[in-house]
Amino acid sequence: MSEVELRGIVQSYTVIRVPGQQLAAEGPFVLLLVELDDGRRVLGRFNGSEPPPISSRVMAQTRENATPSFRIAEETP
Amino acid sequence: MTGQELLGPIVAADLGLENVTAVKVEAACASSSAAVRLGHDLIHAQAQDAVLVVGVERMTGMSREALTSAMTAAIDQSGEAGSGLTFPGFWGMIMARHMHLYGTTREQIAAVTVKNRRFGATNPLAQFQKPVSLEEVISSPPIADPIRRFDCCPATDGAAAVVLTNETLARKYGSPSVRVAASVMVNGPVRIGDYREITIHDGTLNAARRAYERCGIGPRDIDVAELHDCFSIAEIVDSEDLGFFAKGDGGANVMREPSARDARVVINPSGGLLSKGHPTGATGCGQIFEIAMQLRNRHPNQVPRSRFGLTHNGGGTAAAVTVHILEATR
Repeated sequence: MSEVELRGIVQSYTVIRVPGQQLAAEGPFVLLLVELDDGRRVLGRFNGSEPPPISSRVMAQTRENATPSFRIAEETP
Repeated sequence: MTGQELLGPIVAADLGLENVTAVKVEAACASSSAAVRLGHDLIHAQAQDAVLVVGVERMTGMSREALTSAMTAAIDQSGEAGSGLTFPGFWGMIMARHMHLYGTTREQIAAVTVKNRRFGATNPLAQFQKPVSLEEVISSPPIADPIRRFDCCPATDGAAAVVLTNETLARKYGSPSVRVAASVMVNGPVRIGDYREITIHDGTLNAARRAYERCGIGPRDIDVAELHDCFSIAEIVDSEDLGFFAKGDGGANVMREPSARDARVVINPSGGLLSKGHPTGATGCGQIFEIAMQLRNRHPNQVPRSRFGLTHNGGGTAAAVTVHILEATR
């Protein structure tokens, strides 16, 4: 399965503290709504316990059609 | 929620009805108002003289996680549900962004719960009969940040029914009758990623526009509204999309004295879903019941001289939206 790199800007966030049954063991976790540089909007996890501010730049390496796990994007020159 | 199917014939049989068309209508949290919409069309098409719409739901006795899973069934299972999004999470994202874009404050959002719980305290049919303070809302435990427990409607067992008839039968039996001036249902984005802006709900905007056009009135003509406050922030977003307040002004209006608000409409005098509870399948009919009582001048929290009342009910990610406008016939 090929990996893709996603980059974009945080539109909004939440912290899921009461997940559904299937993900009960994973909570709490941070979810982000990210507007990607190509204009698509996707949901993804965030690799931290506190959500980043709205408008933060984030990136993720992920398999296609999987839920991405975002981290803060390093400054690009 | 309990997994019982074939509810149409089961409810009809238990009501003693025989030899009738009985069918379940499903549109998540907007199920029974969707059924009212369809019943309204059947009567207008003269296919039926009278339609009984029954909304029922049983939600108590389940674990929090099991209930969350059952509710989450209305999120697209082929896509966004896999991320772990829940409905409190969906509205949590909308709340964070509404605060960011428009400067809506934590206090303004909590004031929706305070207002509705105050109404609920004087509505004998509400699940919650005690008011709450701003401080209690803001310090309640987090559920899906920034949403906290008292920003959420409770899980509820409940039922409500609406009898729809043609004008002849209404004149004969329904006294005083209430006219259905507009019955509208439209679809909206089924995924949070499909929204161009998550603080603006196209389903509500489009349904409201069509409903006002059908009556030849505008949002300023509505005296009383029961709208879908499944979360405190939802009342703010919906009150803007229904045209009562400009986008971004909903929060500031909640904090004002009623006479100083930008619209005269009284919102959720029943106590709303935040006080009445949200038995999902029953909510749409429950809202119509509350407005009918207002227009008949028989509501415990009566809005004086109400002529036009509006209900707004949303299912899923505001993906199934109904707007009904009812008119008092005096």
